[in-house]
Amino acid sequence: MSKPVLGLVLGGVLGVFDGLSALVSAPNDPAVRAGIVGIVIGSTMKGVLTGLIIGWFAKRTQSLASGIAFGLLVGVALAACVSLMQKMSGQPAYYWQIMLPGGILGIIVGYATFTYGAPAPRLTRTAQS
Amino acid sequence: MTAGHPDAFPLTRHSVVRAIASADPEARAQAYDAIIRSYWRPVYAYIRMRWRRDPADAQDLTQEFFTRAFEKEYLARYDASKARFRTFVRTCLEAFLSKDYDAAHRRKRGGGARIESLDFARADADLAAHLRSDAGDPESWFRREWTRALFADAVARLHAECDAAGRPQAFEAFVRYDIDGPDAPVRPTYAALARDLGMSVTDVTNQLAWARRTFRAGVLDAIRAFCATDEEFRAEARDLLGATPEDAR
Amino acid sequence: MTWLSDRALGHLKSMADLPDFSATRYDIEEEIGRGGMGIVFRGRDRELAREVAVKVTTWPGADVDRLRDEARVLAALEHPGIVAVHDAGRLPDGRAYYVMAIVRGERFDERAARVTLADRLRLFDRVCDTVAFAHARGILHLDLKPANIMVGPYGDVRVLDWGLARLGSDPGRPITHMAGTEGYMAPEQARGIVDERSDVYALGAILRGLVAAESALPSRDRGSGVPATGRPLRPLHSIVMRAMAEDPTNRYADVASLAADVRRFVDGHAVDAYREPALERIARVGRTYRTAIALVFAYLAMRIVLIFWGR
Repeated sequence: MSKPVLGLVLGGVLGVFDGLSALVSAPNDPAVRAGIVGIVIGSTMKGVLTGLIIGWFAKRTQSLASGIAFGLLVGVALAACVSLMQKMSGQPAYYWQIMLPGGILGIIVGYATFTYGAPAPRLTRTAQS
Repeated sequence: MTAGHPDAFPLTRHSVVRAIASADPEARAQAYDAIIRSYWRPVYAYIRMRWRRDPADAQDLTQEFFTRAFEKEYLARYDASKARFRTFVRTCLEAFLSKDYDAAHRRKRGGGARIESLDFARADADLAAHLRSDAGDPESWFRREWTRALFADAVARLHAECDAAGRPQAFEAFVRYDIDGPDAPVRPTYAALARDLGMSVTDVTNQLAWARRTFRAGVLDAIRAFCATDEEFRAEARDLLGATPEDAR
Repeated sequence: MTWLSDRALGHLKSMADLPDFSATRYDIEEEIGRGGMGIVFRGRDRELAREVAVKVTTWPGADVDRLRDEARVLAALEHPGIVAVHDAGRLPDGRAYYVMAIVRGERFDERAARVTLADRLRLFDRVCDTVAFAHARGILHLDLKPANIMVGPYGDVRVLDWGLARLGSDPGRPITHMAGTEGYMAPEQARGIVDERSDVYALGAILRGLVAAESALPSRDRGSGVPATGRPLRPLHSIVMRAMAEDPTNRYADVASLAADVRRFVDGHAVDAYREPALERIARVGRTYRTAIALVFAYLAMRIVLIFWGR
């Protein structure tokens, strides 16, 4: 599986679980329970986008450290966008509750796409034309 | 028997093994000269190491062995089908030494024909260290000294060839690099040789290559002279030049 | 007469034994190796001004056909793991020779003694790749052993001494003498019956040597699934046992299968030769994916922290 596709799939799957984890972290919040479907869809789409971007970067880097760092950055950045959107729509921001898991998931996707994604095929040219 | 100068030898090589049985007395004498030149050191070393005789006794016995070998024509009885010539010489020597040969039977020192210019003192110096220890067995010493004599003979032949070919510098370079070089604290470089001999490095390379080729041919010639058959020659060459029979599977 | 010292005598002896290449474009410099069929010298190609290696039969008449066959085998195989042949011919004294690229490096077992098990197995994989290439062109080696494998400074591998090589599709040419090396020779090879699995056996023996030394290693190789010692090496032992099975039908069918199983072991996956119990499988998966598992646990731990923080 290529790195962008692995990132997409992994980001999506982790996004689903991340969204569902809202039920565990805020079990008594009626707003969470009522809007869980939207939370999961949003989290999934964020995960897919995060995974795609990180997988694209992993294809272009030779360094695991930079792949992980980029994953952390993208994970935190997109999670911050979600928190801002929540605040702008009048909901509580939950910055840390969203950005922290977003960052760790970004690290996971960054590591996984670099380590387990298929490397890009190299083009070879023959000396004789 | 002619005293014979051991350093002189014919430029053309004939089979020594065949010549010792020749009807021509001159050919026989030359063959014995060649045998003495090549075998006196191994014979002397063998007498010293195997029979533990003192230097004076060993020198007398060495002289006596060759004198008797010539007079009684021991070596002309060599049969190539039974053993190598080198082994045959050693067997004759053993037979000679095993007789109870005390001083009374030996010719007095100074009497009879003597073989000139045998450097017994040098041979003694070489043996001294080995006689003190038990390192090495007499048979391997016999073989080693025989090889040393063979190669020294080839060096003398090379010298004559270089003179005949007008290449004295080739011999000079060969002696300095390939004979003295291994013992020198620092082996001379080709550049140093070129400087000393007044020629270019390329010339040194070419002269050395020529000298080595000629030397190699001389060594093989020398081995062949003491072998009766091609098979014996191949076996001796393999044995003396480092390749062992096991290498030729 | 010149008196020659022992050192001078030794030098002159080895020089006298040098073959005469004066009629060729090569200068012979010194002996660098000696095998059953011939002697290998370091030399110089005057035309191209480069160093070469020259293999010469030991004596006129000896093994001329075999050396020519060896040169032809090498010339037919163009692979980074097989030394390139430049030239071949006969000397005036009747000896046969061929000229090849000079190989720099160290013996396989010498390099293996200095690196981790994972690196040894990667080198072994390259050897297998070379042998599989030859098999694909119908050529068996039949004398594989650490002494016939060189490793260059960059980890490049060369398989040498194809003197016993024969065409796998040429069963009509019998092996007329005891071929191979004890300890590496397949049992059926002594009876003159050979195919690709004979080389598989030899590779298995080489692999056994690599595995046997692992207890001397100071540390495990990070970044691979290969442990340093102990129970987790059982799959590798099973690979060795299968490769070295007495009956060829119980061995790997070809070198590629052996190499694939070794690669699976290095990558931390299950190998064909070993049926692992459930607990060992769990442990292996845990080792292989330890980093990912640790990250997931870190995520879960963070979630738990956030749960309590929020309350």
